[in-house]
Amino acid sequence: MELIAALLLGFFFAGYFVLGGADIGLGMLLPYLGREESERQLAVAGVWPVFLANEVWLVATAGVFIGCFPALEGELFSGLVLVLVPLLAGWMIRDAGLWWGRQAPRAGFWLTVVGSWTLALSWGWLIASLLTDTPTEPAPPALGAVTSLAIALLFLAHGMGFAALRLSGVPFERARQVAGRGAGGNSFALTSAVMFVLPLLAGARLPLSDSAASDTALRLVVPALLVILPLLLAGQVWLWRTFGRRVEGPAPAYF
Amino acid sequence: MDAETLDLARWQFALTAGGHFLFVSLTLGLATILAVLQTRATLRGGQPVHTRMVRFWGQLYVINYAIGIVTGLVMEFQFGLAWAGLGHYAGDVFGASLALETVLAFFVESTFLALWMLGWDRFNKWVHLAVLWVVTLTAYLSAYWILVTNGFLNQPEGHRVTEDGTLELGDTGAMLTNSSALLAFGHIAAAALLTGALFMAGVSAYHLFRRRTDDSDGFYRRSLRIGVYAALPALFVTVTFGGMQEENIGEWQPMKLAVFEDNSEEIARLQAEMTERFGPGDYVPPEALTQGAGMLMMAVFGLITIPLLISAVLAAFRRAVSRFRVWHVVLMALVPLPYVAMIAGWVFREAGRQPWVVYGLLRTEDAVSEVSTTQMWVSVGVFVPLFALLIVVNWWLLLRWARRGYTEPRRPPEDSRPEPVAVATY
Repeated sequence: MELIAALLLGFFFAGYFVLGGADIGLGMLLPYLGREESERQLAVAGVWPVFLANEVWLVATAGVFIGCFPALEGELFSGLVLVLVPLLAGWMIRDAGLWWGRQAPRAGFWLTVVGSWTLALSWGWLIASLLTDTPTEPAPPALGAVTSLAIALLFLAHGMGFAALRLSGVPFERARQVAGRGAGGNSFALTSAVMFVLPLLAGARLPLSDSAASDTALRLVVPALLVILPLLLAGQVWLWRTFGRRVEGPAPAYF
Repeated sequence: MDAETLDLARWQFALTAGGHFLFVSLTLGLATILAVLQTRATLRGGQPVHTRMVRFWGQLYVINYAIGIVTGLVMEFQFGLAWAGLGHYAGDVFGASLALETVLAFFVESTFLALWMLGWDRFNKWVHLAVLWVVTLTAYLSAYWILVTNGFLNQPEGHRVTEDGTLELGDTGAMLTNSSALLAFGHIAAAALLTGALFMAGVSAYHLFRRRTDDSDGFYRRSLRIGVYAALPALFVTVTFGGMQEENIGEWQPMKLAVFEDNSEEIARLQAEMTERFGPGDYVPPEALTQGAGMLMMAVFGLITIPLLISAVLAAFRRAVSRFRVWHVVLMALVPLPYVAMIAGWVFREAGRQPWVVYGLLRTEDAVSEVSTTQMWVSVGVFVPLFALLIVVNWWLLLRWARRGYTEPRRPPEDSRPEPVAVATY
């Protein structure tokens, strides 16, 4: 049971980095990819509406963490307050920007960009902290800064590959020049693999097996997750099949 | 743990959870009305007014839902950030329901919300309707899991004490059917419907009051009636579940009831009894706050009931619905009241159980994380202004769109729309 719980935790966390990382990276690249208003709207449309289906992987990660490893979750989160506060704030600002961008395109655009950068840099600091010998303390500033920049670059590369697959027109050309030939497919596969492995490497260092929840709690949570998992994945596939095609104009506005 | 960190953590939780609750109240109620509206629109495909109603109220629903999600993201992390002691002591029990909330409810809810709001021209109308029902039902499921968590904290059942003195889940069934959770679920679900219904009635009344819009198809008249006739039963269900909780509180948290009734003899007796049981300490919750919040909730109930009963009569007359402008103003004035009652009821429930975070088992002061005061200040300094901003902008947008009334949806440019299916003709 513990092992399955740990695998589920890793699966959701890695899934978030691959999927969420792509739209966060694209969010960071918005000023580069979109320089005129129409280009900007097209680039923002690349984030819509998949970010909604991508960020839930992180929500699920946190849920599995508190449900299956509650004591460790508290120890880690309270130890990393200074990392998690900017991470959550960046996430909120980014989402608010994406939603409000439909009413106020300029403000929404910049909130999305600032939020995406804050989020990616905070992830860098968090990963750096997890990789030290004391994962429940923030990584020292020098190490944190270097790792943050490296991880931010990784998000950028991943986002660039995603943009080359997702966008069209001038923003697409800009992304393709950087992401390389093959319409971005190759570099995206590579960055996806890195984005999948990185959180697993960082998370594997946590003392998960020593801090699992009781058998009763795991017997409630783990089977429920396993039963619902195929449905969750089906919903994801459905959403990507419906809205995952190359975007050629501004996001279809519901409001 | 120093007192300032504890106070900050409490303020942060109160303001962010309260802020989030403001969004949930409207979302949950509007979702239900919307699902029924769209079902009717789908069944009677011929009447465009029904579809336009789903679009208009759906728009307001999505605006509010969106920022509700954004504020909800933080809540889940806050237990670990600020209340690690609680996770350490009782996380085995209440963590399970939080985990199930995120995966069984929220994961599905958010994915399907995206499918619904942008799926208007993409799906078969029955599929599109089913998607909205999934969003609505998972929203209720989400509320259920959160109240299972909260119910356990108010009325711990289904746990057992381990060798090292912490709690673990013992009886899953007892945890899932905790009466404090179930009664609160009924109470809050109905109150949310009341919030959504009065919002709908109030916004419709605004448009009828202004007489600027042509209401020949009865768009706002119908909406006003739906709002009034949904609010009335919702109010009575809310009150019924509220009353049913009294006995429960008397059994599990007699101190809360004694404070509410301002019964000083009983308070003194319970204080002595609890001192004997749990050792020296102050077992009386903040009296003014608990009592004031409870009273306020009751008073607001009274303020809503009488106008709502009269409204139910007036709504039967078409001329009154279209022309009775004084009544329109009253309906507009009712919109904020359910929010006041919601927050007051929640303060009564949560302040009234102090000093306990897990009733009778863990004190709030022992649940707070081992973080420095500076760190807690950083956290409060970031989240509280951010929540305030989100709430203010959300309401500004909500009111702006509500005032604008129904407008035809903006269409994506021709070339990005899905290809029409070629029909073979002979």
